[in-house]
Amino acid sequence: MGKAVKLMAVVFVLATGNLFAQNTSTLTISIEPDPVTVKVGEEIQLKATLMDGEKVLPDTILFYSRNGYDLEVSREGFVKANKPGTYSVLALRSGPRDQRVMKRFEVQVPFPPIASLEFKNIPDNFYSKTTYDLNVDVIDEMDLIRENPSLTFKSSNPSVAMISHGKLLALKPGKATITASSEGKSTELSVTVKKNPASEIVIANTETSVRTGDVITLNANAKGSNGRSIEVPITYSFVAQPEDNLGQGAEGQINQQGKFVANVPGTFILTARAGDAVTDQVIQVRERNVARELEVVGHGKVLDVHTSDLWVWEGTDGRDYAITGTWGASGDAYFWDVTDPANLTPIDTVRVDARTVNDVKISEDGTIGVLTREGASNRKNGIVILDVSDPYNVEVITEYNDGLTGGVHNAFIYENHVYAVNNGTRYDIINIEDPANPYTVNRFELDTPGHSIHDVWIEDGIAYSSNWRDGVVAVDIGSKNSELADAGGSPENPVKLGSYTYPSGWNHAAFPFKSESTGDFYVIAGDEAFPNGLPSRNNPAAAAGWIHFVKFDGWDNPKEVARYQVPEAGTHNFWVVGDTLYVAYYNGGLRIVDISGELMGNLYDQGREIAKFEPTHGDAIVPNAPFTWGPQPYKDYIFISDWNSGLWSVKLLEPAQQGTN
Amino acid sequence: MKFLKPLLTIFVFLIGLNTSHLKAQDYYLYVAAESDDDVHLIHFNGQSEQGEIAETIEVGTWPQENEGPHGLTVSPDGKYWFVSIAHGYPYGSLWKYETGTNEFVDKVELGMFPATMDISKSTGLLYVVNFNLHGDMEPSTVSVVEPNTMMRLQDVETGIMPHGSRISDDGRWQYHVSMMTDELVVIDTENLEVAKRLNLSKMNDRKPEMDHSEMNHQNMKHSPIVKPTWADPHPSKPLVYVAGNGSDELIEINTNNWKITNRWKTGKAPYNLEISHDGKLLVASYKGEGATGVWDLEAGKELAKIPNSRKVSHGVSISPDDKFAFISMEGIGGEPGSVDVINLETLKRVEVIETSKQAGGIIFWKMEN
Repeated sequence: MGKAVKLMAVVFVLATGNLFAQNTSTLTISIEPDPVTVKVGEEIQLKATLMDGEKVLPDTILFYSRNGYDLEVSREGFVKANKPGTYSVLALRSGPRDQRVMKRFEVQVPFPPIASLEFKNIPDNFYSKTTYDLNVDVIDEMDLIRENPSLTFKSSNPSVAMISHGKLLALKPGKATITASSEGKSTELSVTVKKNPASEIVIANTETSVRTGDVITLNANAKGSNGRSIEVPITYSFVAQPEDNLGQGAEGQINQQGKFVANVPGTFILTARAGDAVTDQVIQVRERNVARELEVVGHGKVLDVHTSDLWVWEGTDGRDYAITGTWGASGDAYFWDVTDPANLTPIDTVRVDARTVNDVKISEDGTIGVLTREGASNRKNGIVILDVSDPYNVEVITEYNDGLTGGVHNAFIYENHVYAVNNGTRYDIINIEDPANPYTVNRFELDTPGHSIHDVWIEDGIAYSSNWRDGVVAVDIGSKNSELADAGGSPENPVKLGSYTYPSGWNHAAFPFKSESTGDFYVIAGDEAFPNGLPSRNNPAAAAGWIHFVKFDGWDNPKEVARYQVPEAGTHNFWVVGDTLYVAYYNGGLRIVDISGELMGNLYDQGREIAKFEPTHGDAIVPNAPFTWGPQPYKDYIFISDWNSGLWSVKLLEPAQQGTN
Repeated sequence: MKFLKPLLTIFVFLIGLNTSHLKAQDYYLYVAAESDDDVHLIHFNGQSEQGEIAETIEVGTWPQENEGPHGLTVSPDGKYWFVSIAHGYPYGSLWKYETGTNEFVDKVELGMFPATMDISKSTGLLYVVNFNLHGDMEPSTVSVVEPNTMMRLQDVETGIMPHGSRISDDGRWQYHVSMMTDELVVIDTENLEVAKRLNLSKMNDRKPEMDHSEMNHQNMKHSPIVKPTWADPHPSKPLVYVAGNGSDELIEINTNNWKITNRWKTGKAPYNLEISHDGKLLVASYKGEGATGVWDLEAGKELAKIPNSRKVSHGVSISPDDKFAFISMEGIGGEPGSVDVINLETLKRVEVIETSKQAGGIIFWKMEN
C-alpha cells in the first residue's frame, strides 16, 4: 500500500504541475527614463528592470522597435532617433510562456523646434476687392518643412486686408502687415493694396447655346480705364436656373480658369469679376441627348465558372472569333465563333495547368494567342503561346516561364513581342518572332519604393502601364507617333516618357485617348477597388472606383481634368474607339460614354452616358448579378465578358428618328 | 486507510484531467486553400474517422485577384490563428483571426510572398519567411512580428527563397531552409540575427575538412541540388530534419556539432515534414508523387508510403496525441484540394476531406472530447 500511495503522490504532483506554474501576473518591466523622449539625431541608453511589486528581479530584458529605420533600437536598449514621431517599442523578458513578461511603451521623438516661417508664392500686386491665398512654409531647426503646421494669421489693418480662414481679402487701397505665427515663431508680409484698375471685363466666348457636358471657356479679359488689357485676378461664378427645379442636385461647375460645364439643362448666368468690374454672360443649356437604345444580340453562356478577359479578332479565314479566359477554375480558355453575334458558338477549349487564365490576347495577324497563367501546379506559371490560325483547332506551341514563375496577370502582344506583367512589379518583354522559342529581351520596372504594376496596353509603340500607387506610366518601346514620343525606345530599350499618380492608389488600367473632336491627348486611368468587402452570393455588389481623364500637354505636364464615376459601382477594364468610351463597370455592367469635346467634371452627371447594359443570368455562378470584366467594341457590336455569366454581344441601335404629326 | 478513498478519487480525477487527450474524439485544424482564397476549419472525428469542413472563412480583399493564403499557425494559447497572404501590391501580408469565431482581427504587410510561419514559445514573436517564389534569385527575409499588436519588428535577411519556418521546442531557434542556395539557416529568436547556416549539398559531406567560411556561398551561383523546402527540429533531441525536395531525401542534422548525420532516400520531391510529438515518427509529404511517407526516426526506416487522394501533396500536421497525420493536397487545375487523414497506428489513409482548390498550409488547432 505504501508503494501505491507514493505512486499516487508522484502522479498527483505531475498531474497538478500546471496548477502551480509560476505566476507572472505580478511581474512588470520598468523602463527608464519614463517617459522616453529623444530628440532627432540624439542617442540614449534605455534601462529596463524586471520588477515584482517593489522588488527588483535580476534578468535580461530585450528591446524591439517597430520602425527600425526611423527609431533604431538595439536589443540592449540603445536608441537612436532619426525622424520625429511617436514610436512603439517592445521590452521583453523572454522564456517559456509562463515566464514571459512583455511591456510595450512609446518613445516620443518631438518635432524639432520651428526656426522660421516664410511666405511663398506672393503675388506681385494686391488689388482691392480681390481674395488671395496665403502660402507659408514652416521650417524647423533641421531645415525640414513641417507638414500641416498649426498656423495663425493676423492683419495689422483689417480694414485694408482682412484675414479669413487662411485667405487674404484685399478690401481697399492701403497698407497692412500680415503676420504668420506658429509655435512662437513668426514672419511678416508687408502688403500694399492697390486700387483695382479693372474697369471692364470682356468675355470673348460666343458659344451661348450648348449641351450638358459641353465645356465653355469664357476667355474673360480685364481692361483698364484706358481700354487696355491688364493683368488682374478674375474670379468666376454662376447662377443656375435649371429646367428641373424639383430638388435638383449640382447644376454645373465653374473653375477659376474660366471654364464652365453644365450638368443639367437650363439657363445659366456666368459671371466674371475683377474688383468692381463685373460682366455676365447668359448661357442656354439643352439636353445632350446622346442616349441610345442597346440591343442584346447574343449570349455565350459560361455559368459554371467565372469568366475573365476576352479578345475578339478576325481570323485568317475571314470569320470572327473570340477567346475568353476562366478564373479560379480549371485552367481553361474558350474559343468562340462569333461571326454571327447572335449565335456565339463555342468551338474549342484549351486547358493548361493553371487555376486562372486571367488574360487572353491575340496577335494582330490573328495567328498567335497568349494566355497568362496563375495557379500552375508546379508553381511555374508564366505564359502559354498558342497557334490560333485555326481557331477550331487551337494548338499549344509552347509554355514560357523564364523569370515568370510567380504568375503573369496580364499581357499584351505587340509587333512580335509579348509584354508580360510579371511578379506584380514589372513587365518582361519577350520576343516571339519564333513563337516556339521565345526569349526575354528586357524588362521595364519602376524604381519607386514598393512599386507594383497591374496591366499594360500598347498603342503606336508606346506602352501604357497601370501601376496602383504609381499611377499610369508611359514608355516608348518603339514609338510610331513622333508627335507623341520620339525617345528612341525599343523592346530592348524601353524608355520612360511620363507618368501620373493619384492619391487613392487604385490605378488598375490605362488606355490612351486622342480626342478626335479636340485633338487633346489623354491617358485614361481606371480604378479597381473593393472598399465594401468581397462580393459573394450574399453580397454581389461591392466594387468602387472610377475613370480618371488625365490630359497630357507634353509628358511632363499631366493634369487630371475629368472623371466618369458611377455611384456605388466600380470600374474594371475599358476601351476607347473614336470619342466613345466603353467601360466594364463591374456591378454597374457595361457603360458606353460620349467623351467628345473638352472634358471637365464628372461625365456621369452630364448626360454623356449613351447606353448601359447589366448582364445577368438566373443560373449564373452568382445569379442575377452583373460583374462585367471587359468590353471590346468590334465591327458593329460590343462584346463583353462578364465574370458571372460569360460572353455577351450587344449592339447600339441608331437613334430614333424624330417623327412629325 | 480512510484517507485512501478521497486520495484515490482525486487521483482518478487528475489522471482524467491530464490524460484527457488519450480519449480525444474531436480534432480541429485549419487548412488554407491557396487558389480559392479560403481557409477551412476542419473537424475530424477520431472515433468514426470521418471528417468535414466545419466552416469556411474567405480571406483577402480582392475578388478578382487571387491573393493566395499560404501558411498558417495558431497562437500558443489557441486563441488566434494567423494566415500569410502571398500576393499583394506587391507585398504579401499576415492576417490574424480569432479561433472559434473566426473573426478577422488585424493584419500587417510583410515581404514578397510570405509563406510558412511559427510562434516562439520563448519570445512570443512570430517568424514568417518571405518565400519570394516569383522574384529574382536574390536573398529574401524572415519577418518578425509581435502578434498581439501585429507590429512588424524586423526583417532578417536570409537566403534565396526561404521556406519552412519551424521553431525549437524551447523557442530559442528558428529553423528554415534557403531553397535556392541549398542551406539550412537558424535564427536566434531573441537577437533576431542569423546564427548559423549549413550547406546541405553532398559536396559538404565529402569534404568536411574544407573551410567554407570564406567562400561566400550566399552569392555563389551554384544550381541548387537539394532544393530544401522544410526544416523541423526534433522535440527532444538536438536534431533537425530537412526535406530535400530536389534530391529526394530526408536530411538529419545534429545541431550540437552542426553536421549532417543521416541522409535517407525518400519518395519523389519531399516537401513538408513534421515530427511526431513523442519524437518517434516523421511524416513527410512527397509532392512529386502524391504520397505520404511515415518514417521511424530511430531506425531510419520508412514504415509506409501511403498514396494520397490526388496529386501534389503539400503540408503535414500531426495531432498532439500522435494518432493522426493530416496531409493537405493541392490537386491540379480545377480539381478540389483535400485533407487526407492518415491513422499513424495502422498507417492507413482513413479519410479524405475535400476542400477548395490548392489546399496548402495546414495547422492543428485543438482536440476535444
